[in-house]
Amino acid sequence: MKKLVSLFLCLAMVLSVMSFAAAEEDMTLNVMLPDFYSDADWKTLEDGNPVLQAIYEKTGVKLNVTWVPNSGYGEQTTLTLADVNNLPEVMVMQGPRDAIMLKSARDGAFWDLTDFVADAANYPNLAAGEKSVYDNIAVDGRLYGIYRARAYARAGIYYRNDYAAQAGYAEEPATVEEFKDMCLKMAALDPNLYVINMCKYVAGTIGIMTVMNGAPYQYGVNAEGKIYPAFEDPAFQEGLDFLRELYAAGGIDPNFMTIESGNWDDAERSDPPKAVMRLDCLDNGYRYEEWLEENKGTDKEKPVVSLLTAIPNKDGKIQIWPQNIGASGEIVITKAVSAEKLPKVVKFLDWCNSQDGQTLLNCGLQDVTYWIHSDGFRYTYPEGEAENSATYAATTNVIQHSLNQLGMNVNGDLTPPTAATLLRSEYNKNLEDNAQYVIANPCLTFESETNNLMGSTINQAVEDAQVQYIAGKIDLAGLQAAYADWHAEGGDLILQEYQTVYDAQAK
Amino acid sequence: MTTKAVNTAVPRPNGGGYWKKLGLDLAKNKWLYIMMIPGLIYFLVFKYLPMWGIVIAFEDYSPFLGPFKSAWKGLYWFQRFFSTRKWIDYLSNTLILSFMSIVFTFPAPIILALLLNEIRSTQYKKVTQTLLYMPHFISIVIVVSITYVIFGTEGIIYKLTTQMLGRSIDYLGDPKVFRWMIVGQSIWKETGWGTIIFLAALTNVDTQLYEAAMIDGANRLQRLWHITLPAIRSTIVLMLVLRMGSVLDTGYEHLILMSNALNRSVSQTLDVFVYQNGIVNGQLSYTTAVGLMKSIVSVILVVSSNKIAHLLGEEGLY
Repeated sequence: MKKLVSLFLCLAMVLSVMSFAAAEEDMTLNVMLPDFYSDADWKTLEDGNPVLQAIYEKTGVKLNVTWVPNSGYGEQTTLTLADVNNLPEVMVMQGPRDAIMLKSARDGAFWDLTDFVADAANYPNLAAGEKSVYDNIAVDGRLYGIYRARAYARAGIYYRNDYAAQAGYAEEPATVEEFKDMCLKMAALDPNLYVINMCKYVAGTIGIMTVMNGAPYQYGVNAEGKIYPAFEDPAFQEGLDFLRELYAAGGIDPNFMTIESGNWDDAERSDPPKAVMRLDCLDNGYRYEEWLEENKGTDKEKPVVSLLTAIPNKDGKIQIWPQNIGASGEIVITKAVSAEKLPKVVKFLDWCNSQDGQTLLNCGLQDVTYWIHSDGFRYTYPEGEAENSATYAATTNVIQHSLNQLGMNVNGDLTPPTAATLLRSEYNKNLEDNAQYVIANPCLTFESETNNLMGSTINQAVEDAQVQYIAGKIDLAGLQAAYADWHAEGGDLILQEYQTVYDAQAK
Repeated sequence: MTTKAVNTAVPRPNGGGYWKKLGLDLAKNKWLYIMMIPGLIYFLVFKYLPMWGIVIAFEDYSPFLGPFKSAWKGLYWFQRFFSTRKWIDYLSNTLILSFMSIVFTFPAPIILALLLNEIRSTQYKKVTQTLLYMPHFISIVIVVSITYVIFGTEGIIYKLTTQMLGRSIDYLGDPKVFRWMIVGQSIWKETGWGTIIFLAALTNVDTQLYEAAMIDGANRLQRLWHITLPAIRSTIVLMLVLRMGSVLDTGYEHLILMSNALNRSVSQTLDVFVYQNGIVNGQLSYTTAVGLMKSIVSVILVVSSNKIAHLLGEEGLY
């Protein structure tokens, strides 16, 4: 470990000697990013961070990063935007359609980037982004940020097929009804084994289950063209009923509401596993398989984790829950940047999307934070050092931290490819094949003043009631009372406001 | 009527108004007043001047427009708050939790201080005191984590009570248990620390009184009831008046850490509401208005409880 660090320090020194040659116009850039490795030390440019050094050499930009632990990033966003004189110059806004984003953009906190994105000659990478996703994050038709690209069809189910086989499902279930049956049979296997791994973050689990079952996502439009909340769809109720049934059958940990999303993996990775299925982003599924291969020595040729997505429900319809809106937040430039500096900062964001930029932000430096093995693929450790991979990961976290949060990749992933395990290739194939089944919230870009003001409060109350319903604390009448509350506390107004926009667009 | 006239006449033998007296006093104690100026300026600049910030409770405040350019909304936010049916829940959750804490948490340090006071061996007393102060320095996050570990379905207390009662208690999710958990955690964490002020008051009790009482044949309980408790009564009343001022303050960290979808119906207090809508959702004006209402109620509570203390013949706060 010490050796490694000193190696990096030497490298940094060499690089810093070389650096005076580069970069005619230097610029310091204050950025605020969510941090997923807050327990690792952070090396600044002055401390000799080779990746920042490399960025500086290529662009003349000295990055000065303020890290905010990811779990508290939302609060920090509000507080940061309230202190107008100390804004970072570039920051991540995690919710492109959140009230705080809309309000700040309208009040003039961020630079309007619409014209820059349209300027393909000067900013080719930004201009190469998807128009539909740019539309999803636009505020009143103007762009105040560059989105951080994510695939649509990431959500689904992954589960341990060795346990499913014990329950009589050696083959993947072909329909949603079969899937439900499989879950209930797995729950009956062993009283100490939970089936679905759930945590405090229930929106994903409930969303994936109900959408797969045929419900709309957040809002639906019925045959008469009237907008209604997803939870009033019969298919939604059916999905919820299934989760309640599974909970009652002992298939869900009764303590799930006390498990933080950061500890979500624990139940799967304990020995023996406490839960063997999860409704989530499927990239977590292949990571689980890779973890099992590495730590439990399971057979690489016969994955014990199966990915399940795009299966027809009882009406024969295939629906996939949208993990996101094609973006996971956006990068904005605040008014702390002067009008003269603005084009340079946009140029830098454009560079971040180039192959150099993407590689440095997402992977770091070759032979420092990533290695290309003789098979031509990218690894997180040098060839033949697989057993020390944790040590290398620790050093990488110190240098690289969560710099990838600044990455946008609007023009596609240009980083050096990684070796694809069986499951990872399946996942990548799914992303392309299944994009057609992903449904969207019809009201995503609609404006509702009531939703900005009350939405999060009343939606939280509905979600709480759904959790209580699943856990058997309230009955159907209690759940419907909570839905009635939603309507009375502002839901009706939201529906009205959405309906007005919808009708206007339909004409 | 006549008695009242006599009463008012007594404190003002020189006659004259408040300002005239102040003028005379100023002339007499010139230097004392001059020395007071820095203190006054401190309070004006750092305590009173920032208070004009509550103006954002009456407008649609935007940090980028500033308080002068933000749109004026008048009492809109206050109406908004009272037009949601939930405000009654927030208020009742706050009050129930607060009064439970006054009834159960407030007397705990007094009882403990009295117990400590009876300990003869100073060595033993000091060690005990130090140990009792410890929990105060443990962050509430840690306290909640420990609670999760021992009260969760894998935890020792959960398993013990399940075996003893023959049915399981959902300590972390059941809304009926929630408030008791909060009160219990507060007692565990703060009781020892709270004894300090009462122990200090107890050192002022004249030991001759105890000796005299012993000669008169008073037993321990009688001495406690007739000497110790009356001696610290004014301290208890003072602390209670101060506590009344924070009846609407439940804090939010503790509640947020302990709350989840199952018990949110009882864990949503005014403070949690302000935190979630103000800090998390960024509705600065709305929550400032709610906070302002809370402060006004707190001032009324302090003033009236102080009045009551006076009526009961205690010194009270001022």
